[in-house]
Amino acid sequence: MDENTQSDANNDELILQQQRQIEKEISETTPLVSDKQTISTLNSEYNDDAVYCSKVKNLAEKYISLRKTRPDGNCFFRAFAYGYLEYLVKNKDDYEKFRDLVQKAKDKLVKQGFPELTLEDFHDTFMDVIDRVAPSENNEENLQELHKLFNEQGYSDYIVVFLRLMTSGQLQEEADFFFNFIEGDCTIQEFCHQEVEPMYKESDHIHIIAICKALNANVRVEYMDRADGDKVMAHDFPEVNKPNVFLLYRPGHYDILYPK
Amino acid sequence: MGFSKFKVEINYVLILVWRRLQKELMSLIKEPPPGVQVDTESVGQNLTQWKINIAGVAGTLYEGENFQLLFKFNNKYPFDSPEVTFVGPNIPVHPHVYSNGHICLSILTEDWTPALSVQSVCLSICSMLSSCREKKRPPDNTLYVKTCNKNPKKTKWWYHGFVTHSCDDE
Repeated sequence: MDENTQSDANNDELILQQQRQIEKEISETTPLVSDKQTISTLNSEYNDDAVYCSKVKNLAEKYISLRKTRPDGNCFFRAFAYGYLEYLVKNKDDYEKFRDLVQKAKDKLVKQGFPELTLEDFHDTFMDVIDRVAPSENNEENLQELHKLFNEQGYSDYIVVFLRLMTSGQLQEEADFFFNFIEGDCTIQEFCHQEVEPMYKESDHIHIIAICKALNANVRVEYMDRADGDKVMAHDFPEVNKPNVFLLYRPGHYDILYPK
Repeated sequence: MGFSKFKVEINYVLILVWRRLQKELMSLIKEPPPGVQVDTESVGQNLTQWKINIAGVAGTLYEGENFQLLFKFNNKYPFDSPEVTFVGPNIPVHPHVYSNGHICLSILTEDWTPALSVQSVCLSICSMLSSCREKKRPPDNTLYVKTCNKNPKKTKWWYHGFVTHSCDDE
């Protein structure tokens, strides 16, 4: 009995050690957001897989390139924020509305009960990034700045935290509606505490719907998995609007897409 | 070139950690929640280790008792949760507190978020104590204390299951 527990404890440590090792390897080899790559680079990941290869081909008919994001559980929020800001830098009117929305988001969240003490650091950093890439005559420079900031952990993760909190705020504001979408017998608040607010927790439809609503964004997700067929499946959030952010979803992971 | 850029980034992250800890400390000193008091002497020596005194709430099983928590922060705070344990001569007898001071509380590992703080952790621990109906140790206390790592964050806790080191209230 003693021996078993001893080995349980050792197993715990081994599991955690292995997790940390994997995380370390990922962070050393994969940037938070990569440079643009051609769609065909995906083929190297699926060299002999007929289903995936035909889907990559289909994807390449619609998209010219992609940026890969680090697979750390935050990839949806990082990809979404990067893609949306790239769009906003080039669309001044929408940028102004967005800036105003984020500016006001802090007070709104505090009113909902989020702690101002910790919230404001994340808000300040996000506002700082938004201001540093404000649309100007030299957008090329802004986009370079955006890329640089998103690859600095200090900025990049702070943005992810703030978006997670905004998502949580939106879900709780419309708890009666979103309650229908969660599985199991937890409340929306419990769901937010366990699946939305903590870093590294993966995102699902419900996160996407909520953050799109909170930030007036329109996201198209192209689903690419082993399911039958030779085409990727597009899904728009919300369904009625023209998308301004394009993401590739492969089971457990999101990257950023650039349409032709 | 690459190396020096790396160094600059690390320092920037450390500045953010330091700034955040300073801010939390000031807030905790200026507006401490009832029954929570930071041992400023312990913090003065080392900003990454704080001792915090907690008083058992009146009208609960812990009324009149005093406890001490030790918070340890690493340089990934607030993305990594702080390591929090009870220390000192009086470890509360509670179904989620092991006699070595380790606490089974999901916000200390799995459900930690960077929007939580020392203050919110203290409040959660106070409320965990206050809602207790029977003073007793966790059922696996003896074995756990014998075999666990010194750092409770190295325990793979099971908050919602029933495997080892589980502390769901039943």
